[in-house]
Amino acid sequence: MGLWMSIGRPSINDRFKISLLPFSALILGIFILMLFVYFTNSIQILQREGIGLYTTNQWVASEDPEREYYGVFAALYGSVYTSVLAVLISLPLSICFAVFVIDYAPARLKEWLIIATDIMAGLPTIIYGIWGAFILVPFMKEYVMYPLYRHLSFIPLFSFEPLSGYSYLSAGILLGIMVTPFASSIIREAYRMIPFSYREAVFSLGATRYEATKILMGYIKPAIIAGVILAFGRAIGETVAVSLVVGNTFNIHPSLFAPGYTISSLIANQFGNAFIYKYMVSALFAAGLSLFLIGLAVNLMGIYILRRGRHA
Amino acid sequence: MNAIETIDLDIYYGNNHVIKSVNLKIPEKVVFAIMGPSGCGKSTLLRALNRLIDLNDNAKVDGDIKLYGKSIFEMNSIEVRKRIGMVFQQVNPFPHMSIFDNVALGLRLNRLTSSKNELEEVVKWALKKAALWDEVKDRLNDLASDLSGGQQQRLCIARALALKPEVLLMDEPTANLDPIATEKIEDLIYELKRDYTIVIVTHSPSQAARVSDFVAFLYLGDLVEVGSTEEMFERPRERLTEKYLTGRIG
Amino acid sequence: MLRMIKEKIFLVTVAFLSLLTLLPLFHILFSVIVKGLPVLLEGGIGFLTGTLAPPGSGLGGIAPAIIGTFVLVFLSSLIGLPIAIIAGIYAAEYPNSLIGRTTKTLLQIMLEFPTILVGLFVMQILVIPMGSYSALAGALALAIVMMPYVATSTEEAMKEIPFTYREAAFSLGLSRFKVVFRVLIGMARKGVLTGILIGMAKVAGETAPLLFSAGGSSRVYFNGIDKPVGAIPLLIYNLIQQPYENYHEIAWGAALVLMIIFLAIFIPIRLRIKEVKL
Repeated sequence: MGLWMSIGRPSINDRFKISLLPFSALILGIFILMLFVYFTNSIQILQREGIGLYTTNQWVASEDPEREYYGVFAALYGSVYTSVLAVLISLPLSICFAVFVIDYAPARLKEWLIIATDIMAGLPTIIYGIWGAFILVPFMKEYVMYPLYRHLSFIPLFSFEPLSGYSYLSAGILLGIMVTPFASSIIREAYRMIPFSYREAVFSLGATRYEATKILMGYIKPAIIAGVILAFGRAIGETVAVSLVVGNTFNIHPSLFAPGYTISSLIANQFGNAFIYKYMVSALFAAGLSLFLIGLAVNLMGIYILRRGRHA
Repeated sequence: MNAIETIDLDIYYGNNHVIKSVNLKIPEKVVFAIMGPSGCGKSTLLRALNRLIDLNDNAKVDGDIKLYGKSIFEMNSIEVRKRIGMVFQQVNPFPHMSIFDNVALGLRLNRLTSSKNELEEVVKWALKKAALWDEVKDRLNDLASDLSGGQQQRLCIARALALKPEVLLMDEPTANLDPIATEKIEDLIYELKRDYTIVIVTHSPSQAARVSDFVAFLYLGDLVEVGSTEEMFERPRERLTEKYLTGRIG
Repeated sequence: MLRMIKEKIFLVTVAFLSLLTLLPLFHILFSVIVKGLPVLLEGGIGFLTGTLAPPGSGLGGIAPAIIGTFVLVFLSSLIGLPIAIIAGIYAAEYPNSLIGRTTKTLLQIMLEFPTILVGLFVMQILVIPMGSYSALAGALALAIVMMPYVATSTEEAMKEIPFTYREAAFSLGLSRFKVVFRVLIGMARKGVLTGILIGMAKVAGETAPLLFSAGGSSRVYFNGIDKPVGAIPLLIYNLIQQPYENYHEIAWGAALVLMIIFLAIFIPIRLRIKEVKL
């Protein structure tokens, strides 16, 4: 007697697992393959230019391979600049919207408000793009940028003449609009899950709404940070909407009104004719690689913070 | 021959010794109750009998369990479960399926019938056996979730009976039902024992007294006492049993 | 006193900024309708069935793009759904396995991944070897974008099924295959279906993955899956960048069509479920 059995692995279970495993592994495989493709296609330009690829602002496309030189610093600058702008805009909006939905909106309205932001989050980005290009940009140029430029151009932020309206500012605002629903839902979810007893405690100390909200926001700080980081990640990865409003110019300028480039719009814009040149394809892949790694790092960080915050 | 025998059965959940060296001999075609206070391993023991405990990666089983003389660990777990059916405390007919499909599911997926007619026959038979046929015969295509709690539990009994098991395990089958539904099911159990061996776990001594022929008293994983229901309730041998029956523990 | 003033300012700010959050949505919906409807009305049914007008004059139609969008969504679903659903099931069934956990984290990362990178990837591995843009390449790119949504919602739907139903199914002598695929998936079908439809709505509106894979088609209705194919978002993107006024008008019209398609799929689903992960 005394059959020691660790029940849980009869062979039938193994067959099940083995049949399903390939599908899961396939997704993992695609991701690794993607990473691999980006790495291998970047080698050519990295060997040629080294780190200068990422640190210089020069884009010399030439039929003569000797004279080709590609530096994507302007695009990196623009990606970061516009995404930071987007986050700065979306943070107050997201927090206030979350607070409004949870604390102030009557029950029926709540549902519709959330549906509205879900629609915004899912709306095809090209629609944001066409609205941005034909409506937001002219508006910004006419009513915001030119007035500011005329009167306050001594401030570096406002110092570039907004000839067309395509600018970091326009891109930043459009991106801010696009990522707010996303950041807001993360913050809203965390805010909603604050234990009721905690809220009661805060109010029973005689706090005003304003003070209470500040305290509660402190309680969900991890979620807010995660929301900011993930919103940044989303903004930096956005392509079509940005490329239609940012100006697609190799530029490094502190002014909000200057046009610029982002990594994603650089790729979108330049890839069409990249094959004519010897090294441009590799340069664009290398640019894409930087975006890949930034996106990966940002998303991992955001997810990590969010998960850790949840188990607190 | 006994329908079920456990031999030095030990069950561990991780480091928790949940069932301690339990030896049971369950005769066939009787109602055998396992009673004891909540959380003392009764449900775990029951799940070992049809190897449903396999679903839990944490569980370790030592000892043997025999079904009509053959060790269930030497059989395919699927075979075991076709011969030993189960009804649960949480009433769980598949809510997205019709009454008919619920009963037919085991038959269809195990290919136990060879024609549509035969399938319908067996479903009808099972529903009759579970004392539910008259109440549902005109609405077999309604969703199972449309039934009342007591009806749903009888549906689960029909679902299990459709596979024509030899043993029927019942894990506190009436714990979530109202008194009228409970009574109907207890009457049903009395009928069913003519054809099936029934092992019923209950936390209510009065239910054990009402329905069972034999009863085992399990306390914190130990088998304290086992015997015929009459003996247990009128002349318990162990002090612990007496304490439990008079309500001083549990 | 100061506290009360702060309180008032706070309330006003919250209300105002919340309004500001939703304002763009309404303005966009409004603009697309105002700019696009005249185009649809002028173009009539021909706008939906014809091919692109020459630069500078006329509207023609966007049929190749509409057909292309449907072809791409269909093909990408064909490729992506089986993989995604099964991967989602695997993650739900084996939450502690290394592959299960890695896949789950990976899926979450890929939900927000820059889609232009997917398009570029597909270009390298499919378009270049094949020698041309194709519907197949576009579908592959879209499948990669779609999979995280479908896999995640499948996994969550499966996880929500109470354990007792799993026990009940096993107690009927069913193998794990049958328990999962013949019983549990049926119970999870609402969540799974929602994920699928949302995924499809999302990829119907994607542009970046198609930039270097599908190629675009404005004059030919459909050539075969190994040839370039159009898509509405792609068409809009290209038309906006052209200098011709009539192309801009067509872009607005196409944007309206796209918006209608998107809302027609998205709103009914969204109204039927409680929460959507986007």
